[in-house]
Amino acid sequence: MKKATIAAVITASALVLTACSGGTSTDSGTDAAGGDAVKALSIGNFLDITSWDPALADIGFDGPYLSAIYDPLLTVDGDGQPQPALATDWEVSDDFKTITMNLRTDAEFSNGEAFNADVAVQSLDYLKAGVRSQEAFQKVESFEAVDEDTIAIHLTQRDDTILYFMGLGRSYMMAPEAMTAGTLAETPVGSGPYTLGDASIPGAEYHFDKVAGHWASADFPFDPLTVTPLSDATAMLNGMEGGQFNLIYGDKTGMDMAPDNDWNVSSGLSMWVGLQFSDRVGATEMGKPLGDVRVRQALNYAFDGQQMVDTIGQGVGVATNQVFPAETAGYVKALNDIHKPSMDKAKALLAEAGYADGFDVTMPMAPPFQPWQAIVEQTFGELGIRVTFKETDFMQYMSVAPEYPMFVAVIAMDANPVATVERQIAKPQWYNPNPGIAEFPEIQKQIDVVFSAEPGDAQTAEIEKLNTLVTEQAFFSVWSQSTNTYISTSDFTVTPVVGMMFPTLRQIKVVG
Amino acid sequence: MLTFTLKRLLSGVVLLFAVATATFFLAYAAIPDPTLGLLGSAATPEAQAALAAKIGTDRPVLVQYIDWLANMVQGDFGTSWKNFQPVGKQIGLKLPVTLSVVIVSILLSALLGGVLGVIAGLRPNTWIDKVVKAGAVILFALPGFWVALVLVMTFAVQLKWFPAVGFVQPSESIPGWLQSITLPAISLALGAIVMIAEQLRNAIIQADSQDYMRTLRSRGLPGWRIVVHLLRNSAPASLTILALMFVGLLSGAIIVEQIFALPGIGPLTLSSSQNGDIPMLLGITVITVIFVVVINFLLDILLGWVNPKARVK
Repeated sequence: MKKATIAAVITASALVLTACSGGTSTDSGTDAAGGDAVKALSIGNFLDITSWDPALADIGFDGPYLSAIYDPLLTVDGDGQPQPALATDWEVSDDFKTITMNLRTDAEFSNGEAFNADVAVQSLDYLKAGVRSQEAFQKVESFEAVDEDTIAIHLTQRDDTILYFMGLGRSYMMAPEAMTAGTLAETPVGSGPYTLGDASIPGAEYHFDKVAGHWASADFPFDPLTVTPLSDATAMLNGMEGGQFNLIYGDKTGMDMAPDNDWNVSSGLSMWVGLQFSDRVGATEMGKPLGDVRVRQALNYAFDGQQMVDTIGQGVGVATNQVFPAETAGYVKALNDIHKPSMDKAKALLAEAGYADGFDVTMPMAPPFQPWQAIVEQTFGELGIRVTFKETDFMQYMSVAPEYPMFVAVIAMDANPVATVERQIAKPQWYNPNPGIAEFPEIQKQIDVVFSAEPGDAQTAEIEKLNTLVTEQAFFSVWSQSTNTYISTSDFTVTPVVGMMFPTLRQIKVVG
Repeated sequence: MLTFTLKRLLSGVVLLFAVATATFFLAYAAIPDPTLGLLGSAATPEAQAALAAKIGTDRPVLVQYIDWLANMVQGDFGTSWKNFQPVGKQIGLKLPVTLSVVIVSILLSALLGGVLGVIAGLRPNTWIDKVVKAGAVILFALPGFWVALVLVMTFAVQLKWFPAVGFVQPSESIPGWLQSITLPAISLALGAIVMIAEQLRNAIIQADSQDYMRTLRSRGLPGWRIVVHLLRNSAPASLTILALMFVGLLSGAIIVEQIFALPGIGPLTLSSSQNGDIPMLLGITVITVIFVVVINFLLDILLGWVNPKARVK
C-alpha cells in the first residue's frame, strides 16, 4: 500500500497546491413566431455562472446567463446610465428619498405567473436580503406596491448609486413560487426572453430556448443561444477559430487575429492598476513615510504608466493617474499632467521629505500581480526604497493586503462617478481599508458636497473637484486603466459597460 | 486472501481519513477568511458577515471539521460556498467527463502500449524495437500540454475534424462523445503508451532470459504458449505502471481539460481554488483519494492473484 500512500499524498498535495493559486453555426432564420430575422449566437464567457439565483449571483461575468432568463427592472447603457426594462420610467422625489417606478404589465414568468407590483416588491425584498445582492440596497428602508403597476422605493438616506447598481444586475425579477420554494439556484424561473434548455450541461454549455411573444423579443434576435464558460484564453480562441463560438471574452492575441478573420473587437475600461496606499496618514511605523504627501507624490512621479501599458499591457490600456474611468464623468484629462513621469522629481521629493536614502517597506505579492513585481522592485530600487515582498496566494491577498501600508492593486472600476467616490475614496473596502478622510478635511468637505449636490452636471463638476483634490494629494499611485475585450464574428457587435465584466444580452446587437 | 484483502481495505480507510483531515486543515490555513474572495472586491462588511453566517465560517474551525467529517462519513460532502449547490452532485456531474477521458486514455495506453511492448520485446534489437525505443524517448520528452496544443491546432482548428473545445454527453450522441474526447484522450495517452511499451519490452526480455523459459522451449512448447508464459511473468510490472498511470492521468487531465475546455474535475478544481470554495476542494480531494485507494487496492488484489508470492510480502 506504500504506492497508494505516496500517490494519494501527491495527488492531494497537488490539489491543495492549486488552492494556493467553458458550436454552433451562424445560420439566419426567423423566430418561432415567424417574425424578425434571428441569428445563432454562441458565447464563450470567461467564467461559469455564479448562481442562477440572482440574490446569490455576481454582477461580473453573470450578465449573459442571467439576462437570458430574467428581466430586470432597469438596465444600463454603455455609459452606465439606467435605462428602462420592466420599469418603464421612474421619478426621484425632491428630497431624494423616494423613487417611484411605473412597471410593465405585459410580462409573464415562464411558469405562467404574472408580473406586477406585488411581485416586484417580493423580488426586491428577496434581493435586499440576498448575501450578494444586498450590496445595492444598503440605504433602502422598504419597498412598497403603490398600485398594480407602480412601486415605491423608500430610502433611509439619499442614494445616488442605487439605480446604477439595479441596472448593472441587481433588479432581476423572479417568479414568486420559485422564490418561496427557494429553488431558483437550481431551477431559475424568470420572465426573460429565454428559458434554460434541457440540453444544458452545468459548467460546460448552457442552451437557452427562446420564449415566444416576449415583450422585448426584438431586442434578443438570437436563436439558438448558447453560453459556454471557459476560462482558458487559448481554448476560447481555438473555439472561435474552429467556428464553435461567435462571441468571446478576448485578449490581445485575439485582437491581433481579428483583422485576418474579419472579427469585430470592442473594448471597455474595467480596472485601474497601480499602488494602493492603505496608510495615507502614516499611522503605522512601516507606513510612516506615506503620511507625507511628498512621498506619495514621489511614488506617482516615479512610475511611467505609458511604458507599463506598452510593455505589460501589450499596448492595451490607458495611461492615467486617476481612479475615474478615462473619458467618463469625473475624469479630468488635465490631471494626467500633474504627476508626469520624472524620476528626478521623485527623488527630489523624497529627499525633501527626509527620505533621500529611501525607506524599508514590506508588501504582499500574489501570482496575479507578479507581472508588475519586477518594475516595482526596479523603480523602488532607483529611489532607494528597500522592498520585501511577502508571498501569498490570491485569496489571501485580499485579506492580508490591508495590513501593509501599500500594495500592488488591480481594482475594478464603476461607470457611475458617485459609485466611484463611494467605493474608491469615501467608504472602507478591502482595497481601501483606511480611507483616512478625517485627516484630510478639505477632501471630507468636498465628499459631503458631492453627496448633496444636484444630480447631473452640478454634481459632476463637484466630483471633478474631488478628483482633483485626491489626485493632488496622491491618494493612489495609479499607473494605468486596463480594458476588457470582446471579440465577435462580423455578425455581432458588443457595447462594453464599465462595472460589468461581461455585458448582458441587451448589450449585444446583430449587425445590419 | 481474506486477511490480505481486509488489511488493504483498512489501510485504505486510514489513508483516506489522514489525507482528508490534513487537507481540511491545510485548506483552512491557506484561506483563513474566504468571504472576501467569495463575494468579490465590492464586498461590504455586512455582506461578509451574512455570508460567514450562511456558510458557517463564523464557528470554530474544529467544530466545522467535526461537522464536515460527520457529514462526509454519511456521504454528504456539503454545499458549495460559491453557488450553494450540493458538492456531491456537482462532482457527480464532472467526474464522468474526467473518467471518460482517463479511461479511454488508459485503454489506448494498455492496448497500443501492450502491442508495441510485446512486439519489441519478442524481437529485441530489430528495427521495430529500435523504433519503439526511439519513439519512447521522444514522446516521453514532449510536454503533454504542447502535444495537446499541436493536436488541437492541427485536427480541430485547421482541419476541423474534431471540436476544438467542449464535451458531448454519451447519452446525447455516442459519435459526438467520441469526437469530443478523441484529442484529449490521445494527448493524455501518448506518454503512457510509450511508457508501458518500454516497460513491457524490458520485462519480456528479462523474463525470456530466465532458465524456466529455456526449459519450456526445450520441451518444444508451441510459440503462443511461450508468449502466454512470458506475458504472465512480465505483467506485474506493467500492471503496476498502468495503475500508477491512472493516478497520474487524473492529475494530467486537469491541464488537458483546460486546453480542450472539458467540464471535468480539472476546471472545477481550478475555479474552486480561485474562489476559495473549500467544501468543493475537500470533496474533490476525498473523491480523488478514494479513486487512488480503490485503484491500488484492485492492483494489489490483481497482483496477488497473478503472483501468489505477493500476498505474503
